[in-house]
Amino acid sequence: MKKQTTATSKSPATVLGSEDSFRLLVESVKDYAIIMLDPTGHVATWNAGAERFKGYRAGEIIGKHFSCFYPPEAIQRGLPDQELKTAAKDGRFEDEGWRVRKDGKQFWANVIISALRDKDGTLRGYSKVTRDLTERKQAEERIKQQSKEIMELSTPVMQVWQGVVVAPLIGSLDSNRTQQFMERLLGRIVETNSPVALVDIMGVPTIDTQTAQHLIETISAVRLLGAQVVLTGVRPAIAQTLVHLGIDLSNIMTRASLSAGLLVAFDILKLQVVSKDSTH
Amino acid sequence: MNEHQGEFRITSENDIVMARKVVREVSTALGFGLTDVTRIVTAASELTRNIYHYAQSGVMHWRSLNQGVCVGLELTFEDHGPGIADIEQAMEPGYSTGKGLGMGLPGSKRLMDEMTIESTVGKGTTVIVRKWLKK
Amino acid sequence: MASESISVIKLRDLLLVTVPPDPGDETISALQEQVLRAMARHEAKGLVLDISTVQTLDSFFARTVAETVQMVALMGGRTVLAGMRANVAVTATQLGLTVGNALTALDVDRALDLLNAKPSGELRV
Repeated sequence: MKKQTTATSKSPATVLGSEDSFRLLVESVKDYAIIMLDPTGHVATWNAGAERFKGYRAGEIIGKHFSCFYPPEAIQRGLPDQELKTAAKDGRFEDEGWRVRKDGKQFWANVIISALRDKDGTLRGYSKVTRDLTERKQAEERIKQQSKEIMELSTPVMQVWQGVVVAPLIGSLDSNRTQQFMERLLGRIVETNSPVALVDIMGVPTIDTQTAQHLIETISAVRLLGAQVVLTGVRPAIAQTLVHLGIDLSNIMTRASLSAGLLVAFDILKLQVVSKDSTH
Repeated sequence: MNEHQGEFRITSENDIVMARKVVREVSTALGFGLTDVTRIVTAASELTRNIYHYAQSGVMHWRSLNQGVCVGLELTFEDHGPGIADIEQAMEPGYSTGKGLGMGLPGSKRLMDEMTIESTVGKGTTVIVRKWLKK
Repeated sequence: MASESISVIKLRDLLLVTVPPDPGDETISALQEQVLRAMARHEAKGLVLDISTVQTLDSFFARTVAETVQMVALMGGRTVLAGMRANVAVTATQLGLTVGNALTALDVDRALDLLNAKPSGELRV
């Protein structure tokens, strides 16, 4: 009969699984700040990632309240304590937001706070795992800025005749785009002293109530200047949708094509297109 | 004038114009574009007039906001006037309690990015509005 | 501080008022008074309000203008708001302001043309 050893086995898996090596794991990880907070939110443990992101060494931060990592507005709104409360209630709290380093610089963080409870459910503290996503956020902002520029590039307001500007609209109008569109359109109308603006919506794939309301808003603004809008490029599908949505455009001039709109503009300006072949 | 923070007392009708001038200077210095400056100044005009007409006197505070890459302006309008009994009703467009002074609160909310109102009848009202610089 | 004085100019049978860049409430109210007195004195058929230098158009201004337009209409005249700035128009629209039955024009020249022309082809806000 083989004698079975009951002493602690020395297989590699068990060695690495011991508490000491677990601490080694957490402490050494540089890509995540993994720290523990006591139940009142004071820093209890620190790791290499935390030192890297937040700039503090363990000695100078342990014992301090974790709200010092938050920007002043967040502290004023009581965010840190709210986050702990949520973690205690739901077990975890996840968020992305600005955090402050020791040198005052801010970084964009993904944070997960988990409540740590022992077997009888007593709250022992919290774990806080933070990831630095500043680069990703900066890339997102760059893309946003570029899309904005692309959108503005593709819809210039053009003067096609003395007194007439054309503003093609591409896509839909949310609040932000509407403000930008209005500012551009009205600015050009004043600049060029144009009493007529043709707003072409051929490039608007579908129209919803929000976009229609924003269009109406834009038209009101143009009227305040002393100019008027002719809505052109009204496709059959759009005409159907507008009527089904019950949107009243009865006091706005509309045409199916840009060229028809141009004729209306000439009419308003008391201009006429005459063929060179016409006899006197 | 310090565009990062300051305060301005409102005690006379002329102060409505002065408040506009102050806010124009501050918001322009912070880098807001012309149309945004116009929005902020107009909201400030409405809220300052509210103070003058309902409370006769009050204070406007301003401070610049910094949240990471975002820069903003916060204006606080404080008075010890009669207070607003029903804030929801006051926020309805067209609602007015006197002199046809509707528009002030809901309009200002539309022009700014954030608005908070705290009011106690008999004690006073505090309106805080913020606008962020769009990058 | 006294309100700024507003001059009301008579141009044949029309009145022209140039509104200052940032008028206080007192000035705006005084403007209404002066306009109505001038309407009576000159029996004018129209009023042009030149707002091309006005930087802020808030609800008080808008309301006073709308009232003035109604009063001028009662006295037999039409009113044109001339030269509103782009940023002011955008803000006023966002604020939800209207200027009553005032007509609008891109500048004073066009406003005068509008008032001198026959009633058709008007721009009603």
